[in-house]
Amino acid sequence: MTQASRVKKLTDSVAHIEISPPRLQWMGHSRQWGTRVKKGEHGLRLGDLNVGIYGEIPQHWEDQSRRPRGAADLPGMPPLPYHLRSKHQIWADSAADLYEEAIQHRWIPATDIPWSELSALPDDVERAMCQVLTELMQAANAELESITYWQEQMSYGYHEVKQFLAVAALTCARHIDAFRKRCLANGGGLGLESRGRMNRAILESRGGWTEAVVYIYLLRGFYIQNQYRLLLAHAHNAAEREIFANCLADHSRHMSYALDHLKYAITQQDGQAAVIQTLLSLGESTLARDIREPVQRSALAVVFGGGVEGGRQEGMATWHTMVRQSIHDYLDACEWLGIKRNMIQRRLNALLPPDEQLVPPERG
Amino acid sequence: MPAFPSVEWFNAVRERYNTDQTLHSGGGGPCEATAALCIGDSVYLLEFEGFECAEIREIARDDIDQADFFLDMPMPEWIDMINNIQENGAADLDHTLSTIDLELEDGLPRAPGDDQYRRDLFYRYNQNFQDFFDASAGIATTIGPVD
Repeated sequence: MTQASRVKKLTDSVAHIEISPPRLQWMGHSRQWGTRVKKGEHGLRLGDLNVGIYGEIPQHWEDQSRRPRGAADLPGMPPLPYHLRSKHQIWADSAADLYEEAIQHRWIPATDIPWSELSALPDDVERAMCQVLTELMQAANAELESITYWQEQMSYGYHEVKQFLAVAALTCARHIDAFRKRCLANGGGLGLESRGRMNRAILESRGGWTEAVVYIYLLRGFYIQNQYRLLLAHAHNAAEREIFANCLADHSRHMSYALDHLKYAITQQDGQAAVIQTLLSLGESTLARDIREPVQRSALAVVFGGGVEGGRQEGMATWHTMVRQSIHDYLDACEWLGIKRNMIQRRLNALLPPDEQLVPPERG
Repeated sequence: MPAFPSVEWFNAVRERYNTDQTLHSGGGGPCEATAALCIGDSVYLLEFEGFECAEIREIARDDIDQADFFLDMPMPEWIDMINNIQENGAADLDHTLSTIDLELEDGLPRAPGDDQYRRDLFYRYNQNFQDFFDASAGIATTIGPVD
């Protein structure tokens, strides 16, 4: 029996069964039909889709389901643990644009870094570079874990932020990957684990995503950013230069989201600036203790000074300049955000040159 | 042969930057920013869109708030940077924007109104701006009068 005759026999055998026509009622369920967003000069971007009801971004998103913003709701859906449902808890106007930028600025550590350009370095410099990267790896990992912890609690009503943070987490993974490869591709290896007090503070912060943003970016972000700037300036070869140029751009993009979010949170939520001020008072000492930690401090100085000998004078001077710049960047950002920092914690203050300290050092 | 600094010179660099894909290094993704360069008495506004520098024009110093951020250096330092790029094909590590930024007491980028968010664009797109200036290596250049 051929295939065709088998099908005919089967069809004939069920011909007497009456099948009701499909109702397809779901086809009538759309809150807004007929939408035709046109692509702009730079393509069809995420932010371009915010038209009509799809662009209605409420201050509070009651829905605890996975319903995409603008989709018709299905009655009876049980709630999921989306605890961050207010716009001021996560929002940044720039999130959609930063998402587009992040997915376009993609680089692949395996193939985009010219690994063949790595060259043998003096043993002390190689050890120092590997130590610096070991600690930066841990910082990137804390950032990644904090993002993913909070990301799953963010309401679907603010998908622009969720999507941006998804890429930010991937970017952190990319940094960890690149640092690890750099450590293991030039005759060295990983260094000593960091004490990581700030990492712990970040990972243990449970007050909300805004609190995590305060610790990861506003408080520590400039210290990380300035390390990338200086490591870029002290790159030994094209491979390192490419790594740190990419990391600087990526991290600065995360900082942009953070500052934009904090500005939004402060302007939309009464008392938020005072809360952030309190968080900073608690966190500054922790950051200062991390900055003063001898392992990373001396490793950075050796890299900046081109060796142990150069690290003693020139390297440490550069380290001091970097720390000074980081604290000033932090204070400038606080001022821009409208957060009072007339005084900063003693340990952090002590890292500034004496003539720039905000309060006199304690006597005795 | 265009003279540095001039709109003609910047347009020659822009043309090369926009057409030579080898100049767009791994760190230089799309860029959306407007930068102003204060060179001597002149201010040049550079608009970057996506992978291109879309427009360059000279503006009055009073209009500098059109820029997200501006870079202001004495003329000899601009010339030193341009000469270094011409000699090496790209800025060496002592003459990158990043290094110059680090060597200045208060850094290189400034934002109108001290807007931290706009100033941060310099770091977000640092490699794009570096790639742009490195594109000047292929432009036959005369240096304009030094004040």
